[in-house]
Amino acid sequence: MKTTNKRKLVFLWAIFSWLFLGHVTYGQEIKVSGKVTGADDNLPIPGVSVNVKGKQKGTSTNVNGQFAITAQTGDILVFRALGYQLEERSIGNISVIDVSLKAEVNNLNEVVVIGYGVQKKKLTTGANLQVKGDDIEKQSSTNVLQALQGQTPGVQITTTSGQPGSGINVTIRGRGTIGYKDANGNQVNNNGPLYVVDGLMGVDITTINPADIESIDVLKDAASAAIYGSNSANGVVLITTKTGKQGKRTSVTFDAYTGTQQVARKADLLNAREYATIMNEAAINSGKPAIFTNAAIAELGEGTDWLDEMFVKNAATENYVLGVQGSSGASVYSTSLSYTGQEGVVGGKSLSNYDRYNFRINTEHNLYKDIIKFGQHLNFVYTKNNGIGVGNQYNNTLRGAFTTSPFLKMYDDAGNFFNNDISGVWNRGEANPYAEMVYNNQNRNNKQNLFGDIYASVSPIKGLTFRTSFGFKYESNEGRAFFPIYHLSQFSFRDKTSANQSMGKNRTLQFDNVLSYKFDLATENHFEVMAGSSSISTNESSMFGSNQNLIFADLEHAYLTNATGRDGSVINLTGSPKEFKQLSYFGRVQYNYKERYLFNTTLRADASSRFAKGHRWGYFPSFSAGWVATNESFFANTRNWLDFLKVRASWGQVGNQNIAPYQYLAPIQLTTTNYIFGTTEGVLTPGAFPKRLANEDIKWETSEQTNIGFDARFLNGKLNSSFDYYIKNTKDWLIAAPILNTAGADAPVINGGDVKNSGVELALNYSSKVGKFNYSVGANGAYNKNKVGNIPTADKIVHGDVNLLYVNALEFYRAENGYPIGYFRGYKTAGIFQTEADVAAYRSTSGKVIQPTAAPGDVRFVDRNDDGVISDADKTLIGDPNPHYTYGLNFSANYKGFDFYLLASGVAGNQIIQSWRNPSSSLGNYSAAILDRWHGPGSSNRMPRVTEDNRNFAQISDLYVQDGDFLRISNVTIGYDFTKLLNKSYLAKVRLYAAALNLFTFTKYDGMDPEIGYGEGFSSGVDVGYYPRPRTFMLGANIRF
Amino acid sequence: MKTFKIYILAVSLLTAGACKKDFLDTEDVTTATEQNFYKTPEDGFKALVGCYDGLQQVYDNGIAFPVAAEVMSDNVFGGTGNSDGFGYQMMDEFEKLRSPADNNLFGDGWAAYYRAIFRCNMLISKMDQINWGANAGLRNTYEAEARFLRAYLYFDMVRLWGNIPLLIAPSRENIPQANPEDVYKVIAEDLKFAVANLPATAYTAQSPATYGRVTKWAAEALTGRVYLYYTGYYSKPDLAGVITKSEALGYLENIISNGGFGLVDNFANLWPVSGSSYAGEDNKETIFAIKYTYTSDFNGNTDGNHWMVMNGIRVQSIPPYGMGWGAATVNPKLWNAYSSTDTRKVASIISIADEGLNFTNKKDQREYTGYYTKKYTPLSVDSAGNANSVTNGKGIGSFQISQFQDYVAIRYSDVLLMAAELGSPSAQSYFDQVRQRAYKANFSSIPATQSNIMAERRLEFAFEGIRYWDLLRQGINVAASTIAESTTVQNGEVNTAKTISASKVIETKGLVQIPYPQITLSNGVLQQNAGW
Repeated sequence: MKTTNKRKLVFLWAIFSWLFLGHVTYGQEIKVSGKVTGADDNLPIPGVSVNVKGKQKGTSTNVNGQFAITAQTGDILVFRALGYQLEERSIGNISVIDVSLKAEVNNLNEVVVIGYGVQKKKLTTGANLQVKGDDIEKQSSTNVLQALQGQTPGVQITTTSGQPGSGINVTIRGRGTIGYKDANGNQVNNNGPLYVVDGLMGVDITTINPADIESIDVLKDAASAAIYGSNSANGVVLITTKTGKQGKRTSVTFDAYTGTQQVARKADLLNAREYATIMNEAAINSGKPAIFTNAAIAELGEGTDWLDEMFVKNAATENYVLGVQGSSGASVYSTSLSYTGQEGVVGGKSLSNYDRYNFRINTEHNLYKDIIKFGQHLNFVYTKNNGIGVGNQYNNTLRGAFTTSPFLKMYDDAGNFFNNDISGVWNRGEANPYAEMVYNNQNRNNKQNLFGDIYASVSPIKGLTFRTSFGFKYESNEGRAFFPIYHLSQFSFRDKTSANQSMGKNRTLQFDNVLSYKFDLATENHFEVMAGSSSISTNESSMFGSNQNLIFADLEHAYLTNATGRDGSVINLTGSPKEFKQLSYFGRVQYNYKERYLFNTTLRADASSRFAKGHRWGYFPSFSAGWVATNESFFANTRNWLDFLKVRASWGQVGNQNIAPYQYLAPIQLTTTNYIFGTTEGVLTPGAFPKRLANEDIKWETSEQTNIGFDARFLNGKLNSSFDYYIKNTKDWLIAAPILNTAGADAPVINGGDVKNSGVELALNYSSKVGKFNYSVGANGAYNKNKVGNIPTADKIVHGDVNLLYVNALEFYRAENGYPIGYFRGYKTAGIFQTEADVAAYRSTSGKVIQPTAAPGDVRFVDRNDDGVISDADKTLIGDPNPHYTYGLNFSANYKGFDFYLLASGVAGNQIIQSWRNPSSSLGNYSAAILDRWHGPGSSNRMPRVTEDNRNFAQISDLYVQDGDFLRISNVTIGYDFTKLLNKSYLAKVRLYAAALNLFTFTKYDGMDPEIGYGEGFSSGVDVGYYPRPRTFMLGANIRF
Repeated sequence: MKTFKIYILAVSLLTAGACKKDFLDTEDVTTATEQNFYKTPEDGFKALVGCYDGLQQVYDNGIAFPVAAEVMSDNVFGGTGNSDGFGYQMMDEFEKLRSPADNNLFGDGWAAYYRAIFRCNMLISKMDQINWGANAGLRNTYEAEARFLRAYLYFDMVRLWGNIPLLIAPSRENIPQANPEDVYKVIAEDLKFAVANLPATAYTAQSPATYGRVTKWAAEALTGRVYLYYTGYYSKPDLAGVITKSEALGYLENIISNGGFGLVDNFANLWPVSGSSYAGEDNKETIFAIKYTYTSDFNGNTDGNHWMVMNGIRVQSIPPYGMGWGAATVNPKLWNAYSSTDTRKVASIISIADEGLNFTNKKDQREYTGYYTKKYTPLSVDSAGNANSVTNGKGIGSFQISQFQDYVAIRYSDVLLMAAELGSPSAQSYFDQVRQRAYKANFSSIPATQSNIMAERRLEFAFEGIRYWDLLRQGINVAASTIAESTTVQNGEVNTAKTISASKVIETKGLVQIPYPQITLSNGVLQQNAGW
């Protein structure tokens, strides 16, 4: 301290001597003062260096952004601040100069978050990308991940349904694994990335309000992700929430939007007249007389449009965020309170709804002269939601609307839902799908999440920092459902009321210690080394109960205590704990020579309680190197067009351990293993049996990735580009590979099978201005190829589930050597038989008639093996659900107070398998596509004739498959900033905007939404009645004080 | 110095996790494992119940044995819905080309049988691990029951598929199909062990709470059935060198003399459709039954009769009959085979016309004949005429899985007829007892010849999963010519030719398809049966 003061004195003395004693001056001395503020928020910027150009004269702004300096007329003042564009002002006769600094875009001095630390963007050697909180917030999305869509090349984001609060699938650089089925036969998919929020691993990302986010960093390649070792095989998403900034004045922000949502595109189904016509034709084609006369058809009208009944016209969505951030003394803070609400477009608020309340406070305290710091992150989230079934064909509420005939009435004469079993005349097997939705989806769920950490860091000597943090996650959840008595058809009824109630809690503790040291050797060799440890311990417990005969038959009273069922066979009670522990050590060395030659290496060792002793430890290394070519002297002559070029290469291994605990043991199943002895029905004797084979040898799934890329800036930073080529091999999948039935028990989880994802990613951004018109255009795209290998079974196949597309449907997807994960498999078709002669002429090479029972109008299946029979051996790839191309486009501009933003995203090269109808029923409604059916020679060569036995649809063929390419205009926003008009000193920003989300989708897919994140088992791109994403129109405001 | 202390602190914090050696050890406190189970006699009993549960589940998914055996016989056609796949027709006609894509028709069953056998094998192999203590007697009883169940399962399998991998201990290996004789040897030895180790408690002395448990009588009766099938189908002089004809007959005579069983007075009362006069489950004629109850749900509880729904009238409830999927439509030849004085005729078959049933869903029925199975068919007990409340007002369960009629695998009348067929000195008396019950006042004795006994078995055991094997054990040619059919049925109200050719029965030897996915998974170690 004393030395510093001495130095200051010496420095001041030197300046004084220079000013008054030695220097000859021209021009007139003038005292200039002013205030420096940020252009985007109009807040004062402290610590801006203010220098006189060409002279060693300078000062810096104080806490209020104010400065004072003496200079001469004609001098130029240069304003420099980290993160802002440089600004120059020449001094005339004005003594007050207020400067507004623009934030620097794509500044290479920016830092990115890399896991247990940060790094200058220009020095990174892996494939990682950062999205700023502002760009997230611009999306006006309720979900953080949804907001990433279209901004992150190589990251595919889909929602499992359009229902508010639905799960989001994030696939980074192609699907890496297929998951497995747990003991209950439920698919466990473990191909999502690791989410780390402020250093806390595995946070439920849907609980975060996008407004709280400072930045999101996506670690795509293994070299970047390897610091998270066994949790990062599918990439890592690092989220940093907003913190206050030292020296910044308190700012209060209020952001709000409110909007209305509708279905963007409704599927076109047959109306009553069309349906009757098709039913007639099917009867005639099946050798029977017509069912309806033409006169009868003419009188039918439209009938019931079930999709119209299911959808609501104006579902509300709203979001309010109040934030305060700033600093005070040695402390910085940031806090926010927010509410997000979204109603579902199917069924409306009472059936499909999502509400979230967030409270966050982050603080940091400088306890002792930048040597000891201490702080905390704390988030509390309360989420309430309820929803309809968006699962498989049996648990998909919307599907009923597709298959129910338009003949069925909504209400009976008394105004009740129509009971088709008693008074139905057409098909007593079908039930009012709207009423089914109402009766079967009465549920309320809520959860409370509390998570955050307390940390302290000590920097005893320059460059050395020790940071310890104690993180925690706590969740408690509760759910209830009520099932009323109803009778809608002979299949759709319930005779007793019943209720479900569930509760659970989960807590995780994470203890991290990291020691890092930055130092230079021989001044030009810069090193940063880091070593750390982390331990995680999770405890979970849950209970579920269901019982019948409620005292009060409504959802409000649906608690177990109100259920009076006394029959053991109708009472279901379960409760169990779950435990998980992980211990990790990791280290990193970062080196650069003159910021020209870059080298990074990491190593992580992880041990997990999910594996048996002796198989717990896994080691995950990575190496990466970069060369900043533009720092070489021989690149000097390209500076007029090429500002920056860095070439980089990386290699690393990361792991996946995401399986349920105790998979290495052979569990004895004690539940649902009963037999009835004696004569009293319903009285069961419990039994036991070994459920699954043991496999003590299971270990980590490993993903190995090589990445080559470059980052470049051209034309004075106007054009930015980034390119990557990668090969990602994920091997030793954790899967339950099929075993022979003779083994007699469920297959153990083993390591086997691999997939190679390879591809390229390119991101381009151009920003410039014409006068006061600033604009920026961005485009990014990625290509990925997915190919499975080494499936550890004799037939090299992991089979998909049956009974998914429709009742009794056979397998339609697989993981098979040489094919993409989950490719669609079925018969290829080659048009429609137009005449009897066509049927007779369709022969194998040996002259055998291939489809002897076919009639004109039936579909012609391809006999691939030319054996004269259409059999399983003829099935082949008929579609690939994995997009080959994903891309995003954005355009933003501002002119004076106006701003405009447009974001579009899309995929190409993938297929969707669509099945809205059960071929085992002759009476289900059709989509309007059937109107193009064959009904006489030459009428169609794609859509076959209709028959009552649906023979042309009984087999899975390419008739079920459509291209899934689309381009979606996902966001258009127009805003105006009223700040300048209002001109009030306490108002930093008053912006109002209007936005449209999911405005329009260009696609040839005929469903309601081509972006299908649903799939059962390890399938994807399956439309069995997809809850579409809504189109939203909203108005919003951003106000800052 | 200060700095040094911080380093010490830092290093110790960094390695803090390593101090606790047991940090990574967790225990699953709600799940037993193979290592800590099979310790006490109670564990042994639980595991035994698990074997029964395994048996109960073999007919749960796919095509159940009792349904398959009837469809393949001359009693019924495949039926099912008019828009369904043609798997049942493929099975009925022994014709692969009827449904070329069906390569896993019996896959669910194959898997379920091996799961059940695994449970039995596991328990049998753990007998020494269990500390029986003072309950040493239980060991033989449990082992006898487990081995009976294993024999029962293998007998189903070896009849259906003919050539199956044989495991008498748990194994993950890729095991080739065994010689049928070896399978029958295991079956015979298991049954012999069961007969020797189960107490000779007469039905009349048995505690009703234990109905459903394997008895000495069940083991003896099944031995008789296995003996007759093996020696007939494979033309062998005895049961795999383990049981002779006189031993088999001795077993059956023992049941008749000491088992305490008898015929229920009215044939119709054997079946729940008889309503209030129903003799009930576990009646005095039941030697062995697979027991079902109504507690099945879609959350893993499978305790119901999941296959009976197949036999029901196609998606229409016509009281007292409940709806089903319309499989196994009855061949009118069977209806006509009964004399009008045979009380079994209307007790066994639903005749839509004779009972005046208003069946309006013919448009959805394939291979409609006007006749449905009555012995095993869903019932509607709801007075409103809704065929759904199978649980009699409990309001749970689906008509598909919550049917709870037991499958009576062996009836006392079968014991009588088997004993007669095996040449009992009392053959004529046994034969007459069965016929007297059937014809009541119209009874007139006919000689207990082999052909008369076989004809009577057809009428007595229709739809009980017995007829097909009775045909096969008379030789494949007899079976083929009897099963062969050329007639007309109605598919969705349209007259359609129905043909079953004898040559197909002969080509397949009456066996069903080995599941192709298992063949590919075995890398060709498993071989497909001829004709499939």
